[in-house]
Amino acid sequence: MHISEGVLSGPVLASGAVLAMAGAAIGLKKIDYDRIVHVAILASAFFVASLIHVNIGPASVHLILNGIVGLLLGFAAIPAILTALLLQSIFFQYGGLTALGVNVVVMAVPAVLVHYLFLPLLGKSSTLTFVAGFMAGMLSILLSSLLLGLALWFTDQNFLETSLVIITAHIPVMIIEGIVTGFCVTFLLKVYPEIIPVKKK
Amino acid sequence: MTIKQILIFTLILAMLPASLAFAHKVIIFAWVEDGMIYTESQFSSKRKAKNATITIVNENGMVIHKGQTDQEGKYSFAIPEKIDSDLIVKLDAGTGHQAQWKIAKNELVTVHSANDVQAAMKEKEMLEESPSILKIITGIGIIFLLAFTMKFLKRKTFQK
Repeated sequence: MHISEGVLSGPVLASGAVLAMAGAAIGLKKIDYDRIVHVAILASAFFVASLIHVNIGPASVHLILNGIVGLLLGFAAIPAILTALLLQSIFFQYGGLTALGVNVVVMAVPAVLVHYLFLPLLGKSSTLTFVAGFMAGMLSILLSSLLLGLALWFTDQNFLETSLVIITAHIPVMIIEGIVTGFCVTFLLKVYPEIIPVKKK
Repeated sequence: MTIKQILIFTLILAMLPASLAFAHKVIIFAWVEDGMIYTESQFSSKRKAKNATITIVNENGMVIHKGQTDQEGKYSFAIPEKIDSDLIVKLDAGTGHQAQWKIAKNELVTVHSANDVQAAMKEKEMLEESPSILKIITGIGIIFLLAFTMKFLKRKTFQK
């Protein structure tokens, strides 16, 4: 999922960087004082998740966890993912530094989206919470794959084929992330509901 | 949530991948032997990069040779004639995974000494290195440092 150095053309990199910076600025403004530690916890989880590999079939893919980060953080996911990706690229050479902006957009935009789609469903019932978590985990990877295909489209020219390859490669991740996210939100709601920004009634 | 809980939580997160830690980048090695250029490509989880595209370009970015890795992630070819420039061997393993290896002009003609081979092996090992637990902990430390800095800064504006 991480785009390396020298894959994308200048304009794509630049627009990615601008979008990521704008998103991070909005995110930073939106973080509540009391939520800062939550943002750090989820950023750490995201930072570490990419090291966990799933070797299924021909593809070697890793967990991404942008679903749960976005689901719980909303816009604050953008600075969280930006920081985590920056550290991943410095420490583990995951993705290039110049491609950081594009990588942030690829992973953070779906994250923010699932926040607004699935957060209202959390806490209604335990089944619904799990399903919402599963959908958030799955959909965020699917959308990220599509965005990745779109980013590569400008150099590969073959959007459909590239996207199809990426999506097929990430089907195991979608399912695993769905399950992981589902269990995480169900569990967190029980033991640590403060981290889930559900409106209390 | 107390600080203690936070610490335990991050510790669990940090320990979790320790046994599973594999970097997910792609690497390529190339070396010259008897007028041939050999390349070996793999993901750093030791999985071979099969059917990946190998492109050889010269200093000016002109494509000199193109090929595809086999099931073992290997690809070799005879050194093209009349080469008077450093060569860059590029690997494209798809979906944004790329890597490259540079072969200096003089490497194409000289015979390697044992020292060269040793140095090259060291470089290879360094690339293959898995993320260390120390780096993971440092990374998480930096994230929390940033968070607490932000908390500190926001507290000031909060009180005004």
